[in-house]
Amino acid sequence: MAAARVVFTAGFSRRYTGGVREFEVDAKNLRGVIKEMDRLYPGLGEHLEEETTVAIDGAIHETAYFQPIREGCEIFFIPKLEGG
Amino acid sequence: MNDVAPTRFKWVGTRPIRPDGVPKVTGRAMYGADFATAGTLYGKIIRSPHAHARIRSINTSKAEALPGVKAIVTAKDFPDQKFEYQGPERVQQNFWHMTRNVMAREKALYEGHAVAAVAAINKSVAEEAAALIDIDYEVLPHVIDVDEAMKPDAPLLFEDQITRGVEPAPTKPSNVAKRVEFKIGDLDAGFAEAEIVVEKEFKTAAVHQAYIEPHACAARFDHDGKADIWSSSQGHFVVRALTAKLLEMPVGNVHVTPAEIGGGFGGKTIVYLEPVATLLAKKSGRPVKIVMSRDEVFKASGPTSGSSMRVKIGVKKDGAITAAEGEFKFQAGAFPGSPVMNACLCAFAPYNIPNQHTVGYDVVCNRPKSAAYRAPGSPISAFAVESVLDILAKKVGMDPLQLRLKNAARPGTPMIFGPKLAHGGYAETLEALVNHPAYKTPLGPNQGRGVASGYWFNGGGESSASVQVNEDGTVIVATGSPDIGGSRASMALMAAETLGIDYHQIRSIVADTSSVGYTHVTGGSRVTFATGMAIVEASKKVVDELRARAAMIWDVDVEGVIWEDGQAKPASSNVGDFAPLSFKELAAKKALTGGPITAAASVNAGGMAPGFSTQFCDVEVDPETGKVTILRFVAAQDVGKAIHPSYVEGQIQGGVVQGIGWALNEEYIYDKQGRLDNPGFLDYRVPVASDMPMIEPILVEVPNPAHPYGAKGVGEVNIVPPMAAIANAIDSAIRRRLTELPMSPPKIRAALDMGQADD
Repeated sequence: MAAARVVFTAGFSRRYTGGVREFEVDAKNLRGVIKEMDRLYPGLGEHLEEETTVAIDGAIHETAYFQPIREGCEIFFIPKLEGG
Repeated sequence: MNDVAPTRFKWVGTRPIRPDGVPKVTGRAMYGADFATAGTLYGKIIRSPHAHARIRSINTSKAEALPGVKAIVTAKDFPDQKFEYQGPERVQQNFWHMTRNVMAREKALYEGHAVAAVAAINKSVAEEAAALIDIDYEVLPHVIDVDEAMKPDAPLLFEDQITRGVEPAPTKPSNVAKRVEFKIGDLDAGFAEAEIVVEKEFKTAAVHQAYIEPHACAARFDHDGKADIWSSSQGHFVVRALTAKLLEMPVGNVHVTPAEIGGGFGGKTIVYLEPVATLLAKKSGRPVKIVMSRDEVFKASGPTSGSSMRVKIGVKKDGAITAAEGEFKFQAGAFPGSPVMNACLCAFAPYNIPNQHTVGYDVVCNRPKSAAYRAPGSPISAFAVESVLDILAKKVGMDPLQLRLKNAARPGTPMIFGPKLAHGGYAETLEALVNHPAYKTPLGPNQGRGVASGYWFNGGGESSASVQVNEDGTVIVATGSPDIGGSRASMALMAAETLGIDYHQIRSIVADTSSVGYTHVTGGSRVTFATGMAIVEASKKVVDELRARAAMIWDVDVEGVIWEDGQAKPASSNVGDFAPLSFKELAAKKALTGGPITAAASVNAGGMAPGFSTQFCDVEVDPETGKVTILRFVAAQDVGKAIHPSYVEGQIQGGVVQGIGWALNEEYIYDKQGRLDNPGFLDYRVPVASDMPMIEPILVEVPNPAHPYGAKGVGEVNIVPPMAAIANAIDSAIRRRLTELPMSPPKIRAALDMGQADD
């Protein structure tokens, strides 16, 4: 398990977390982060899985359970993107 | 041409002849329109002549009675969809909208909107039938321009559309489908700190991707409920998914075979024809082929958005940017879903600006639904931002590259969407141009030089690949990624590098939806990165299998076998004294050692690095005619590691050419009835070879550590800077700031007639 700082965009937090944008979460991978956020805000996990891309210490990944979490890392859930 | 010689690699970074070249130049490549089978019917779409009209009724009885007509479909033949936004924000899909774009239901929302379709024994019967379909329209007021569409009294496309993203929600409907907003820092404090502030408004025209191959597909529907589709697309798995959804079929009942693709640039990531052809095939019991005309491509498939924008940037006298603000209003076309969010996220991304604020509006209007186009959204906002930066550079007296270098985003720079930038590459593109010998060459009268930069996210995600070893040691690599930019070659190069065999021993193919695992679209500059990872993973599995086969032959543990230069070798003298076994020798012993040697791999690729591009161009303006001639174009791009440098250079040159067209000539021109006046290449002018100087690509290689060979996406960011670079060059040439695209001769003449500089 590692402690990570989780951050949402202002719009996302308005919609789903009552405006709270930052959280400290202990998890070993992104599945653990999503699970914990879903525990805090039931139903949020599905939104995170469906609507976001994740930046872990700035490196952008598809939101997928297997992404490992390092101690002290910053996790930003950002709107999913797609190109042409 | 840059000489990007491979340093560590034998195949990655080399320039073998493209595998798709011979079939394409000999006319043997099978494009979407080339599919043929006995009994295929001719499919024709009947389209609205009106920009906005209520469909009171459609009477098909006369057409159905015409001999040779086998099926007619209208919206009532399609299952309706629930009104619900699904999926990620930028690419949310509302199938209520999508089914209405494929076939108009209550209203026709743009000229060219599909209203009915017919399948007949030949073209002439189909056209006669189309003329016999009686459609009763109530013509409604229409709106084309985005600023007009946002006015309170504008004609409404959807009478119940309430703007999303506004709290509290508006009580009245409007054409604004959505508002998005992003910010970091304290904008007021940032502007208070600034010593020079420039604020400008800009407009850009809707432009089409202008792929040479029109949309085309054929479909067959069998009595067991299973459908086969042959189509040209940027993603046959997405064609499968969308067709299945729109026709309420199990995904497994739709089998899609990809055709060779004659250009897509984002515009072939969605469906127009496939559900219609499938439904006509189901109703008629015969295969049905539909091919769009060029007129239909322009009127009924997605261009990218036109826009109206306001950008304000403040700097200190030393050039340090203190604050930046942007407001972006994008035409979505007839249904919500413009790339305005990307515009908001990319606008200031190349720069380290502590205080930023962007707002975007997604606005419906009576035009074809916008579709993705190369780095969707980013080129539009970059035109405004990079133009304002040029004005600021001139005001503070700094070289425009140096101003950008001073403010360049570097690893650790906060981005407007939250995280800190994780990858370098931008400053390196600036330095490549600072050091370019042509950057300091003097220019003549009416000539000017302009600079601009661009950012694009680049994509990753789901991809699949398989590697099959043939008995003679040749190899087939298969992926689910349609090849629009040279991916067959780059996949083979990465497989050759990983397997340690000759590139020419590998045949690289694009497999159909039943022959390889799910693979997301060829878009977002994702294929070389993500599908490349799947190829490398599958190739590694083959290597492991070959080591195991060698261990069996030598009767040793597999740990005692290493793979080196395409051969199995003993890991040390302790293992035994064995002559190396070549790839070919092991392939020949496949039956004795366990049967066929194959491997598949699927990935959800992450760790994609963004793309940065910086370009400069020299132009000459003819003051009499207003014609702009491009004299020189130099485009530096961070490409990670160029797997096949010639293809990467081609991507850069292609993006720049499309940007030049966007800058100087391309636009949708509508008449007063909302009908498109220029739906063809004679009047919608794309650049041709004789318009172009040699476009010099500079490959800046800052490898992405997340990819086994360092690849980054390369297909899109190159279209981001050209419009602003050209506007900035025109301003340098004639001291006139053009703020509206295209910067066509009449606009240049009008600017010159203003009589004074306007910065």
